[in-house]
Amino acid sequence: MSRVIRAVAVSVMMWLPMAGHADNKDVVDYRQHIMKSMEQETAALGQILSGAGPADNTVAHMEAIALMASIALKSFEPKVPGGAAKPQVWKDWADFSRRMQEFADKSADMAKTGREQGAEQAAMKVIEALPCKGCHDVYRDEKKIEPGVSK
Amino acid sequence: MIRFNRVPSLLWAAAVLAGTLLPLRSFADDQDVRDYRSHVMKSMGEQLAALNQIVTGKAPAADASVHAQALRITAGLAKVAFTEKVPGGESKPEVWARWDDFSKRLDDMVAAADDLARTARQGGVAAVAPKLNALGCQGCHGEYLVQKK
Repeated sequence: MSRVIRAVAVSVMMWLPMAGHADNKDVVDYRQHIMKSMEQETAALGQILSGAGPADNTVAHMEAIALMASIALKSFEPKVPGGAAKPQVWKDWADFSRRMQEFADKSADMAKTGREQGAEQAAMKVIEALPCKGCHDVYRDEKKIEPGVSK
Repeated sequence: MIRFNRVPSLLWAAAVLAGTLLPLRSFADDQDVRDYRSHVMKSMGEQLAALNQIVTGKAPAADASVHAQALRITAGLAKVAFTEKVPGGESKPEVWARWDDFSKRLDDMVAAADDLARTARQGGVAAVAPKLNALGCQGCHGEYLVQKK
């Protein structure tokens, strides 16, 4: 009887981590919401920095980007290929995760600079904080990007 | 009799005066206005979608506060994005024809997003779920968003 109870307990414990992700599609959808939100925020920030958007909103967009960057890596931890994520994400996990962690750290620093020293100072950190293209070139399948999404 | 030698300086003075009275435009052109507000609204849409996944157990509960905070920040930018009267994109002309109502709804949304962010920090996912409807997205979209067919 105790063996049966132990077996059931182990099965339940293996299933429990999956309770937060109902299925693989949810995993893919969730990380896409994070990435797409970041895409919209960086596009808005790009407009502002090129003089085509309201400068007063600069730091707000930086903060939103930093918030999403802080949870982006974790959203890729479940090994669920799909969406625009190439299988390389998990094959080269050490490199991918290093890039994402750097992105999280630098975008947080950019946002902090914006809060404490103002948008102009923070703007000088944008290029280093947002190395999106470099990572996308390696890990994103451009053929699976929806129309209208920036590359 | 008009003294022609004074006209150019008067015109110049008028131009300078007009320039000081005109609000500095934040956007380069009308498409920039449409693009910017689209970015703001789409970003909010993604946050809301993520939060909906979280409250239905399909995404990590630990991320609720982060999304709520990001939503609160972006919601605060929406009014600026719509202040320039530039019809088009997915915005119905009613946005500006009924600006008092539309802008009040945006103000209410900001307050609701504020409350949501606070709740997410303090109360966890169960407390967040009922607050999502309070954002008023559907009601406002029904009135002011061009519905895709």
